[in-house]
Amino acid sequence: MSRIEEPGIDERKVVTFTLGNQLFGIDMRAIVEIREWEEPTPLPGVPPYILGVTNLRGAVVPVVGLAERLGWTPSPIHARSCVLVAHVGGKQAGFLVDELADIVVINGADIQPAPDTGVNESNVVSGLARIERRQLGSEANDAMVLLLDLDAISLVRQIADIAA
Amino acid sequence: MSAAGDDGLDEIQGIFFEECAEGLAVAEQGLSAMAGGQVSADVIAGVFRAVHSIKGGSGAFGHMALLAFSHRFENVLDEVRGGAIPPDAAVTGIMLGAFDILSDHVAAAQSGGTPPADAAMLEQLDKLLANKGAAAEPAPAPAEPAPADEFGFAPVAVDLDILDDPFGFEPVAISLDDLAGEPAGGWTVRFGPSRDAMANGGEPILVIRELERMGGQILDADLSALPPLRDLDPEESYCVWTIGLPATIDEADIRECFDFVAPDSLIDIRRQETAPGAAPPKPEPVPEIAPLPAPALRVVETSEPAAPEARPADAPQQTIRVDLSKLDQLLNLIGELVIQGSILSDRLAPADQERVELPQLARLTRQIQDNVMSLRAQPIRQAFSRVPRMLRDLMAATGKQVVLETIGETTEVDKGVLEKIGDPLTHMIRNAVDHGIESPEERLAAGKSAEGTIRLSAEQKGARIIVRVADDGRGIDRARVRAKAIEKGIVSPDAVLSDEEIDNLICAPGFSTAETISNISGRGVGMDVVRSNVEALGGRVEIHSVPGEGTSFTMALPLTLAILDGMIVRLADQRFVLPLSNVVETVQPVAGQVKRVSPGSEVIELRGAYLPMRRASELFAIAEHQRRAPEESVVIIVESGVSGLVGLMIDTIENRREVVIKSLEDNLYPIRGLGGATILGDGSIALILDIDALIVSPGFNKFAPKGMAA
Repeated sequence: MSRIEEPGIDERKVVTFTLGNQLFGIDMRAIVEIREWEEPTPLPGVPPYILGVTNLRGAVVPVVGLAERLGWTPSPIHARSCVLVAHVGGKQAGFLVDELADIVVINGADIQPAPDTGVNESNVVSGLARIERRQLGSEANDAMVLLLDLDAISLVRQIADIAA
Repeated sequence: MSAAGDDGLDEIQGIFFEECAEGLAVAEQGLSAMAGGQVSADVIAGVFRAVHSIKGGSGAFGHMALLAFSHRFENVLDEVRGGAIPPDAAVTGIMLGAFDILSDHVAAAQSGGTPPADAAMLEQLDKLLANKGAAAEPAPAPAEPAPADEFGFAPVAVDLDILDDPFGFEPVAISLDDLAGEPAGGWTVRFGPSRDAMANGGEPILVIRELERMGGQILDADLSALPPLRDLDPEESYCVWTIGLPATIDEADIRECFDFVAPDSLIDIRRQETAPGAAPPKPEPVPEIAPLPAPALRVVETSEPAAPEARPADAPQQTIRVDLSKLDQLLNLIGELVIQGSILSDRLAPADQERVELPQLARLTRQIQDNVMSLRAQPIRQAFSRVPRMLRDLMAATGKQVVLETIGETTEVDKGVLEKIGDPLTHMIRNAVDHGIESPEERLAAGKSAEGTIRLSAEQKGARIIVRVADDGRGIDRARVRAKAIEKGIVSPDAVLSDEEIDNLICAPGFSTAETISNISGRGVGMDVVRSNVEALGGRVEIHSVPGEGTSFTMALPLTLAILDGMIVRLADQRFVLPLSNVVETVQPVAGQVKRVSPGSEVIELRGAYLPMRRASELFAIAEHQRRAPEESVVIIVESGVSGLVGLMIDTIENRREVVIKSLEDNLYPIRGLGGATILGDGSIALILDIDALIVSPGFNKFAPKGMAA
């Protein structure tokens, strides 16, 4: 994986995407690759948000419905659906998102701690940031990004729940 | 010292610790044999040699705590060997205790941790020396040698190292040199350790091995200073070696080998000015070996000694130490090769598939695969070796008396499997001592001998390795297990359970019958962990118990974790892999051949007999409209360890092929009922079925997560 140019002090590159109407962001350093949606092989006996496993260059990687995992309504599959493959707690997992938005640079000082967002685990959202959203054919406008802490989404944590 | 030098030292240290592990294994075997009543001069001498060489190396690397302890231990062993201390049960017991502390010392030295508290043990050793031994002096001076005729073994210990190793190593060393296309000239090194080098902890063999690794060979060993046997002091050094080294080596690197040699030793390094052409002097007595053509062949050679650590510590080892990760990588690559072979075969027309080249390629691939697997095969002794120590600790903690019997410890198993056997084995042994074996009083009252027996056995059965821990204890108290399971909400109070099902409850998550939580087992995770670990490996656990007579836990594990001979089957739109080792036959059911005997169970009639049958579509909760009728399906008769033959109904059979097992655990977690996944020729993923967990285990339906159960 090629290293991105190091942004300035306390600045980070964030990949933004949408789930429903909400804009989310994941630190770019965690992203392995972005791929088109492809129906994964379903697994028996797993929670509904684990959609199955897929072949990532010879490795068997789980595909997670990020919206379901966060307690939102499942993402419908459409032509722009894509899967963000990321490092999560030493493992790799793909996350189904509705649509990829942009790659933005966010200054650490501009990130606010997350208030209670109604997401089922409050620590999954590590912070909020306001960004300028570029959109084709319209004026740039402000948008709020919910920054996700992938390690808090860690699937390993769920094992205890499943086994119980 | 330069960074390169540090690396070199680390490497030698690594070898030292590997030798320590080998030495400890030898010592433990010897001491266990002595504890079992097999006391012979050979056994005692073997233990002495092992501890002696650990002492020697520890001094060279500055592990002073290890040096001090092993020295004292060695003194006692020396007296035992000389007959001054009789090796009775009490003495053997102390020596076993000392061995445990020695193991801790080695572990501490290796990890850089705090050395274990050994004061009490040292006192016991000193007492032995003071009471019985002639040399009571605990100072780190060499023990007083026993009378000359008595100590015939000691010089052997030293001399074998010196004389045998060169002959063991040299053929390989020469061939490597030849391969390297060595230029003219070379180094001649004369090395004579000072008389008291070994007393200071300097082990000449380490230096010589290091030189040999750089491509050196012993040209001459001057034994002229060797006194007659009667006058020989085994603790002193008498030899002067002449060692030839290739010219390509830096003088500084050679000198570095002698960094830890006592300063008053003879060290003479000079370049051979007159060496004619490309022919460095070769020693006469060494048999010439044809140059080995490829590095691969060298690796293959390492597989020849089937069990390196089984050899006595001083036997010559014609081996190359290879980083395990390199073997793993090799195995992975061969896995990919197998997959590509399958893809190639798929792409060709059927007529071409039968042509001679493709089967030949397949056979070659298979041979390479077998070879790599054999490189990774290790005797299961490695996993068994930590059991005696653990048992001693458990006996001390519980006051129970246990005799260990081991059977089949030379059974070979893949390194990856071996590494994962350790934890389950630990839990099984602990469970047997804590819950199985009764206290001596209870045993006597029940008309048994006061000592319990744990029988640890391993054997290979087909493509599986069977590891069994059997005790002769009280057996599983089924009434209590059942009551506890109901109390914990694991089963409902009105559940009808067979004896076998009750026995299996002890593997249920969160189950523990221990009245008081002991520090040994009883945390309620033990057997649960055993079962999930074993199943994650594609194995299974079976429990057999007879009240009052004992319990046995059997782990059946695959021989390898990498490649599986499988049958690709189809169910709804998905493909699955069924391990071929489970498959007995396939049946195309006709109308009426499958009969429902109760709402939850079906049987299939096969040549007049009725076999239980499960529908995979139910097991995998396939949507109703996609389920096929028996007449449109195929029933595969599979063999399971517990219930014998069972039918599994699937839609169709696609083909048979070798698949590379990819663990689900790598990026997710183990899923019950699945042995992993594999990537098929077209890049899609097929799940590998774990037949035993899927069909046979009576607990499956009760404990499986929702969605998986029928």
